[in-house]
Amino acid sequence: MQCSLEPEASPDGKWGPLVTRKSVMRSGLAALLVAPFTASALVAGRGQESGGSEAESSDRAEGRGATDEEIVLGVSAAFSGPSRGLGTELYRGAMAYFNHVNENGGIEGRRVSLRLYDDGYQPDPCVQNTMRLMLEDKVFSLFGYVGTPTVTRVLPILKKFQDEKIFLFFPFTGAQPQREPPYGEFAFNLRASYNQETAGLVDNLVQIGRRRIAVFYQIDAYGRSGWAGVRAALDKHGERLAGEATYSRGEKFTGSMRKQVEILQGVAPDAVICIGAYAACAAFARDAVDLGLDVPIANLSFVGSENLLKLLTEGQDDAERYTRQLINSQVVPSYEDTSIPAVQEYRELMARYDPQVPADLVQEEYAPFPHSFGSLEGFLNAKLMGEILRRLGPNPDRAGLEEAIFSIEDFDLGISERVSFGPDRRQGLQSVYHTVVEEGRFVPLDDWGARFG
Amino acid sequence: MRIRRLFKWTRFGIFAVFGLIVLSTSILCIYTVDTELSAEYEVNTQNIAKTIADSSAGILLNQNLATLQSLVDQFLEVQGIRYIYITSETGEFLAHTFVPGIPEEILESEHSNTAPVERSLPGMGDFIEVGSPILAGVAGTVHVGMDLDVVALKIQRAIGQQVYLISVMLLIAVLASIWFVNLAAKPLGELLAYAVELAKDGENDELGERDILARDDEAGHLARLFLHVSRQGGGRGLPAGTSGTE
Repeated sequence: MQCSLEPEASPDGKWGPLVTRKSVMRSGLAALLVAPFTASALVAGRGQESGGSEAESSDRAEGRGATDEEIVLGVSAAFSGPSRGLGTELYRGAMAYFNHVNENGGIEGRRVSLRLYDDGYQPDPCVQNTMRLMLEDKVFSLFGYVGTPTVTRVLPILKKFQDEKIFLFFPFTGAQPQREPPYGEFAFNLRASYNQETAGLVDNLVQIGRRRIAVFYQIDAYGRSGWAGVRAALDKHGERLAGEATYSRGEKFTGSMRKQVEILQGVAPDAVICIGAYAACAAFARDAVDLGLDVPIANLSFVGSENLLKLLTEGQDDAERYTRQLINSQVVPSYEDTSIPAVQEYRELMARYDPQVPADLVQEEYAPFPHSFGSLEGFLNAKLMGEILRRLGPNPDRAGLEEAIFSIEDFDLGISERVSFGPDRRQGLQSVYHTVVEEGRFVPLDDWGARFG
Repeated sequence: MRIRRLFKWTRFGIFAVFGLIVLSTSILCIYTVDTELSAEYEVNTQNIAKTIADSSAGILLNQNLATLQSLVDQFLEVQGIRYIYITSETGEFLAHTFVPGIPEEILESEHSNTAPVERSLPGMGDFIEVGSPILAGVAGTVHVGMDLDVVALKIQRAIGQQVYLISVMLLIAVLASIWFVNLAAKPLGELLAYAVELAKDGENDELGERDILARDDEAGHLARLFLHVSRQGGGRGLPAGTSGTE
């Protein structure tokens, strides 16, 4: 018996490997034999749909999205390119929980599987992946997408196929488009929004007298979303943006951000809020320090804190030089705080399963972190998704998804904040946490004045 | 014999006429293509600006700036469009595509202006910028910058193709004319040589057996006439097969 997961190029050969029905069938039977709780089993799990009974195939074909043995969730995320760490970490955390669920009998006897596609954090591949997940793979729901420019482009597809009741669950973005009309009803969010994150940063910076706030941002929907959040937060304090500088999505750490730093130096800011991904934000922080822009540099949760820190400190004799002005906003509590039950569970399951991205999706080397804010968020996403699927009962149907999620009220995920959903409440968590770098790791920032006042 | 001197001016005339045709056609072509394509690009840019303006009205009213930026980014993929920016009715930049920042010239420009304007932005190039009001300007203005270098390149290519075609046609015409002139000049040269020989030694019997006398064209007729005149010593009557009206 052969379990083949050989990558096949996409029609235009632009992005990651695809899995055809043929390879799905080949891998399907093998999946039943290999360990059901490994990452590769997850991919192989894709084969169960094709290797299953005619009734199961029929269920999927009719758009029910689940068989008697499996519930498949569709994921399009960045597993390649400069932001591959984001998709990888989020996936690892989610799989730690789903592997645990599957090992313990699944949900109502059904395994939870993820069908993965790589979009490289680019909108067009993400749109095509989504069409494939919805129309060919007929997944139960979309889950764990990464990024604003990608998700923003997918939302109209969800509206177009709204009769199919395919929702997007817990994307790794805090942007507004999936939280507001006309597309808000097609997505459910767990994390706090960028508006909440930027408001938290601005409020605290203003409070310690740093009122001239400039923005360094990725020139796309993500950057604009954060830019708008900073602008709105400053407006509440009667302030305006001190200045702005931009960069193009996909920028690498090796690129220069000196022009951007010089633009912002020209407006003499008291602080800079970065809305970008880790490679570009690390390059900006590096060049800012090198050019003498000595002000707090804040980042949003999307940045990928551990990757940012790694880039800034790796091979540096005086690593603190580049990190002492960093403030990173987070939407999940610290993974170092083992007094939190969910963190304990997360750490235990991450250690037990250590999920890895399937080899056929890995194009570039990436060394994952044992723990990260991204993987903790993925873990919490999966935990809540598992609860929603449980509430669907023995006959999961997409038609019942809204009712199931709206039944979640004061649900305890294992962190201090409880989760509730409703027709007018499509975001589960509201908390924002602030962290700074101490001794080479991110720790909670308790006293803004003492550190940056 | 240098009989081809006769056609020197003919050749020169052909070159001159064709050269004039090529030059005038090229100038007309350059003017037409430049004018038409420039106008077309300007109209396209205006249409894009209007499309963005129409699409963004609802988005702007909802203050959904991420979606607005996403919309703008998609139009940036249109060939030749190098920048787009949207300003509010108060002149605030709500979405744009500039990296690493908004150029000074644009920051200082009149943002409600929608008339086409040519801009030269340091480090970016030359552009024609057109604007379109959003909700008659009460919600802001969309500005789209078309790269003039790209337009110029397109125009150069179009003109280049036309001029290339005309030049090839000129070359073919000139070569053909040379061939035709040579075709006429060759028997005339033979006739001249024959006439000279007759003048030198008209009694030579061999001169009555030359190939040129067998020709059935004007050169043959003239050769026979020269031989006859030479043999008759004056010109009493025409030789058989020679018609003065031919």
